[in-house]
Amino acid sequence: MLKKIIVDEKEYSIDIDPETPLLWILRDHLNLTGTKFGCGVGQCGACTVLLNDKAVRACQTFITEVETHHIKTIETNTDKVVKKLQKFWVQEDVVQCGYCQSGQIMNAAGLLKKNPNPNDDELVQAMDGNICRCGTYSKIKTAIKAAVLEI
Amino acid sequence: MKRRDFLKTTSVVTSAFVLGFYLPTKSRASDTKSTKALQPNAFIEIRADNQINFIMGQVEMGQGTYTTLAMCIAEELNIDWEKINFKPATVNPIYNSYFGPLMITGGSSSIIGKQLEMRTIGAAVNKMLISAAAKRWKIRAYDIYTKDSKVFNKKTKEIFTFGELSLDLTTMEIPKNPKVKDLKDCKFIGQPQPRHPKESWAKVTGKAEFGIDIRVDDMKYAAILHPQVFGAKIKSYDASKALEKNGVIKVKQIPTGIAVIAQYWWQAKEALSELEVVWDKGTFENISEKDLDDEYSNVMKTDGSSIRKDGDSQKAFKDTNKVIEAEYNFPFLAHAPMEPLSFLAHHEKDKATIWSSAQSQTLTLGVAIKVLGVKAENITYNTPYLGGAFGRRGTINADFVLDGLYVAKDESYPIMTLWTREDDIKMGNYRPKYKNKVKIALDTQGKISSFDAKIVSQSIFKGSPFEAFGYQNGVDGAQKEGLADHPYDINNHDMQAYTMNSPIPVLWWRSVGHTQSGPTVEGIVDEAAFAAGIDPIEYRINMLTDQRFINILEDVAKKSDWVNRKKETNVGYGVAIHESFGTICAQVAKVRVSQNDFKVEKVWASVDCGFAFNPQNVENQITGSINFGIAALKYSKITIQNGEAIQSNFYDYLVSRISDAPEVVVSIINSGEKIGGIGEPGVPPILAAVPNALFDATGKRYHSMPIKLRS
Repeated sequence: MLKKIIVDEKEYSIDIDPETPLLWILRDHLNLTGTKFGCGVGQCGACTVLLNDKAVRACQTFITEVETHHIKTIETNTDKVVKKLQKFWVQEDVVQCGYCQSGQIMNAAGLLKKNPNPNDDELVQAMDGNICRCGTYSKIKTAIKAAVLEI
Repeated sequence: MKRRDFLKTTSVVTSAFVLGFYLPTKSRASDTKSTKALQPNAFIEIRADNQINFIMGQVEMGQGTYTTLAMCIAEELNIDWEKINFKPATVNPIYNSYFGPLMITGGSSSIIGKQLEMRTIGAAVNKMLISAAAKRWKIRAYDIYTKDSKVFNKKTKEIFTFGELSLDLTTMEIPKNPKVKDLKDCKFIGQPQPRHPKESWAKVTGKAEFGIDIRVDDMKYAAILHPQVFGAKIKSYDASKALEKNGVIKVKQIPTGIAVIAQYWWQAKEALSELEVVWDKGTFENISEKDLDDEYSNVMKTDGSSIRKDGDSQKAFKDTNKVIEAEYNFPFLAHAPMEPLSFLAHHEKDKATIWSSAQSQTLTLGVAIKVLGVKAENITYNTPYLGGAFGRRGTINADFVLDGLYVAKDESYPIMTLWTREDDIKMGNYRPKYKNKVKIALDTQGKISSFDAKIVSQSIFKGSPFEAFGYQNGVDGAQKEGLADHPYDINNHDMQAYTMNSPIPVLWWRSVGHTQSGPTVEGIVDEAAFAAGIDPIEYRINMLTDQRFINILEDVAKKSDWVNRKKETNVGYGVAIHESFGTICAQVAKVRVSQNDFKVEKVWASVDCGFAFNPQNVENQITGSINFGIAALKYSKITIQNGEAIQSNFYDYLVSRISDAPEVVVSIINSGEKIGGIGEPGVPPILAAVPNALFDATGKRYHSMPIKLRS
């Protein structure tokens, strides 16, 4: 089925089985591999993207929900909040293996777009769906808080 | 530094100078005969356009090895730090690990094994650049210095880029014995350095290529139906329905299951449910966790293999009137790195290209040669970034590597084989399940007079190519490490090991045997301190002889303000100290108990790894290790039911999340002693400090993980 999809401000026309989760459309059909596969069941947050500026799990999102809407991934060149978070992610030295960080940053972006000044509890609650096995959590907190001050 | 023989293997590769050394060391002595057959090998590549690449034999899986090894080179070779690139090495004995004749990244060994080599290579190249410039300018080396990938003439202010001198270097002798700075004189090494910006930026922008991100022309994707019961085999299968599914190209049986190859991975994965398989489930189908527990308990009634026997343990127990006994139970654990396991291969008759996210390039290559029937020199080997490993990608049975190779074998297109998270959790290669029974006797002063232990587990090493190295006299290295060589002054021991067998493959898991010996030794010592009525830190110091341990404990006591810790309801403080991978780490954990749950609120860690090459990475690794340990303390376990793991994904195989993460304060002591590793030594102490803190808070001892509080 031919479908239209807008990712990072680019429009794509793809021939797709409508049951394919957004995650696999991004990764395998569009080769936008910045968005990561972690669990496939919405439990780890590695595949988080923004759908109309709201953080969603791409592995649980389907084409019927995203058609004509704007999807932003970690590969965005324009989103100011994402760019800011990336800067502080580097500055605070967050990454270890780095695999989960695409999802962490996009989830943090979703949080800050909804709540530009989260308190500690709100931050932890919002980020609790994103797993990092390397255990970079304290640095993630620091980086988000640093970004908050600048946004 | 002992004299090293440099074997010049410089070569001109697309107008770049590539420096290669062959440094025979003891572990590689067996390879010296084959040096003639070596491919050109290199650590530093200087291109004419002044692009400088560091070629990394160690894989980067999150532990920060690229950055710290680059710091070692950059200490001596004055490059423009931010502009260097990292290139993963191909398979070559020149990059072999210090464990022996193979490339492998693990055992917290990268800095231990490579730091001097990297510094030496940096020094040699720096010296060569100065000599080359001296020749061109016809001045003395004394009047030349290097900085930011450039060579400067102090007198005339003339400048060469390193790239401009690269061709000169190809015809020069490599300095035989370049001097490296003493660590105390280093300006870069020893200073906190964040992850190299090239790596960091690639990872935060989604541009870093992990194994599952590699895309090549015409590639297809495969998913695999694996047996659920350990040891089960396929009797027969019917793929007709699967083959009708959209995008499915082929279904093929491989030794570990049935692979569906499709245009896209989602299609392959969806088609798995259409496969009709008749399994021969084997005998393990009748086994559940309780059967294993019974078996593990029963075997202790017999005599085990001796881990350590000295003094007269029987007499010590006869002479005492204080005996403490405890049984520790640690479950099978999956590593669950965030990047699911994958393998990409293209087999083209007598040649092949592979992209492997395994921790050992040499083992992967060996398996590829065997499975594909292709000669080593015809295999192009690529290493991407590894999305976490924790030991899982260092598989002894090469499971996901074999899957990828068998799937791609004889197919005309490249195939990426990608495991599901369920495959990752259910396919084994777990940290072994341990049942440890310990018994100590206290003398009249409350000191431990005898330490007896029975350690029951499967062996990681037995039956593997590493058996001679890791399984001796019926004792697995992982049963023994951290236990037999505990640091306390105890005169009598009777420690025994029992090797269990099952079809469940077991594997090293971040800090390996120390995940059981750490909480066992430090748990029982804590009980002894309490029984003796002595402060747990003071008690440990009284029984320690090695000053390094005492210093670290005193440091952690000071940093945590141990003596002034506040007595608060539902709050507890616990301490532990453990040496692993050449590094001593002590931790004080503060826990808060509420109802049947607990939170680790703060951890003070003091660490002595000899010398911290990159203190910032030391801090990051210790903090990460603590969070990794908290997952095992609070949540993670694999439970066997009817021959299979009942857990399958992050909803039932739980790991630590941001709400579990404590504040961590890391203190580093540069003792100047032998250099230790840093990727793993932070795990064992937290596994004991937390249960000890829970005792302080609740008055109850917790000997098993994950910890479920008793009301």
